[in-house]
Amino acid sequence: MAVSTIYSTQALNSTHFFTSSSSSKQVFFYRRQNNRRFNTIITCAAQQTVVIGLAADSGCGKSTFMRRLTSVFGGAAEPPKGGNPDSNTLISDMTTVICLDDYHSLDRTGRKEKGVTALDPRANDFDLMYEQVKALKSGIAVEKPIYNHVTGLLDAPELIQPPKILVIEGLHPMFDERVRDLLDFSIYLDISNEVKFAWKIQRDMAERGHSLESIKASIEARKPDFEAFIDPQKQYADAVIEVLPTQLIPDDNEGKVLRVRLIMKEGVKYFSPVYLFDEGSTISWIPCGRKLTCSYPGIKFNYAPDSYFDHEVSVVEMDGQFDRLDELIYVESHLSNLSTKFYGEVTQQMLKHADFPGSNNGTGLFQTIVGLKIRDLYEQLIANKATAPAEAAKA
Amino acid sequence: MMSATASHGRAVMLPSPSGALQHQQPSIGSDMFRLRRKEPRGLRLIVAATAKYKGTKMREEKLSEMIVEKVKEATEVCEADVRSEECKVAWDEVEEVSQARADLRIKLKLLNQDPLESFCQENPETDECRIYED
Repeated sequence: MAVSTIYSTQALNSTHFFTSSSSSKQVFFYRRQNNRRFNTIITCAAQQTVVIGLAADSGCGKSTFMRRLTSVFGGAAEPPKGGNPDSNTLISDMTTVICLDDYHSLDRTGRKEKGVTALDPRANDFDLMYEQVKALKSGIAVEKPIYNHVTGLLDAPELIQPPKILVIEGLHPMFDERVRDLLDFSIYLDISNEVKFAWKIQRDMAERGHSLESIKASIEARKPDFEAFIDPQKQYADAVIEVLPTQLIPDDNEGKVLRVRLIMKEGVKYFSPVYLFDEGSTISWIPCGRKLTCSYPGIKFNYAPDSYFDHEVSVVEMDGQFDRLDELIYVESHLSNLSTKFYGEVTQQMLKHADFPGSNNGTGLFQTIVGLKIRDLYEQLIANKATAPAEAAKA
Repeated sequence: MMSATASHGRAVMLPSPSGALQHQQPSIGSDMFRLRRKEPRGLRLIVAATAKYKGTKMREEKLSEMIVEKVKEATEVCEADVRSEECKVAWDEVEEVSQARADLRIKLKLLNQDPLESFCQENPETDECRIYED
């Protein structure tokens, strides 16, 4: 997709010929019109990269959110071929996902010496992060460092080509103001403490060395830094996916049935929030009944306008689990503004990744919806950038 | 040996990425990582996902050992002062390594991608690229 800007320059004594410079980016037209002689140079940038920020404390680039997102655009995201096998980067046709851990300024030993956790901004090089994200956004390839999570060392850099969509994922995508301004859309994945605990138990209990105590101690020890540096970023996010324990089962602490809230900022360019029934109204909806039989504990939806850190937001909430395909389709048919291209697209995307955790609850549903919203935003942004210079040329 | 139960509720049988069929089950979200579970209701196909290359197997083992080591270290360091920087950093290391271990497990199980795949295509003769036999 080419974006062009048009310049007028000094006249030359020639008419209607065409050359292209050695850099494939520039095309020169020479034209003579009436008595005036002027040249038109058309410079085409290869593409404009759309930058998405995702704040999550769940490792890098391997998270199911990223997979769902890249899948909406088609193609599977894979690590760069032939490079460092411990690379955190994922590349698909349209998207490149960069792990912000690669911008650690201190490796594991360095952090131990200085007494800082990876959550601490002092362990990260925000200047480099800003420079490289800015370069990629302008269509310039960068040599990005690699942080190796196995060895805890900073490995030799890898070359990253500017993609159509760049996703920066990690602990601090919205921490630095300059980086924040480069983001076209940002998402914060907010896992409540109870759910975090339950998930980490599921993740770690099978490992020798871990016990309930060690898992708990690890979460507690990281909490102060998390609350000081990571959590405040959620006020800047255009969309927050909040994961909480269910309210459908009293005293449930297994973290299996989840209540998930999609908090969407109002007034964000190219982003129209999803709604139930009618925008700005307050709805509580239980789809299970005569048309649909659900098994325990069922499904409950809520939709309402709200205020989040002094911003106007709309919140769609799902509590419970999908049991069957037809439940999903039924729910999809009642949600509005999904930015799908055809009826059933959300369901189809969910089915594609039925094995992923969260496929039967709000986490998978809202991650998929956010993916579709990002696609919609991307298409609008690109369309908008194409028309703007054309209008300037007419002037 | 790591095994995965891939389960989800649906009245349709669909092929999983590894080609195994899954049957209708009430789904349980992040069930993927639970290895101890009650007797499942109905049929369930266990998909064993072990590392393909020796290098990956070695990484798996190294990460598992590191978890043991670092948990021990953190427990000792924190005995002195649970609020000290050393204690925070020690548990952060545990988290980092635990997540790396889990990420590798996800890759192998869920995505059937061995991180050494493309490296070993180019360099099949290296020790790391010997096919691991369980």
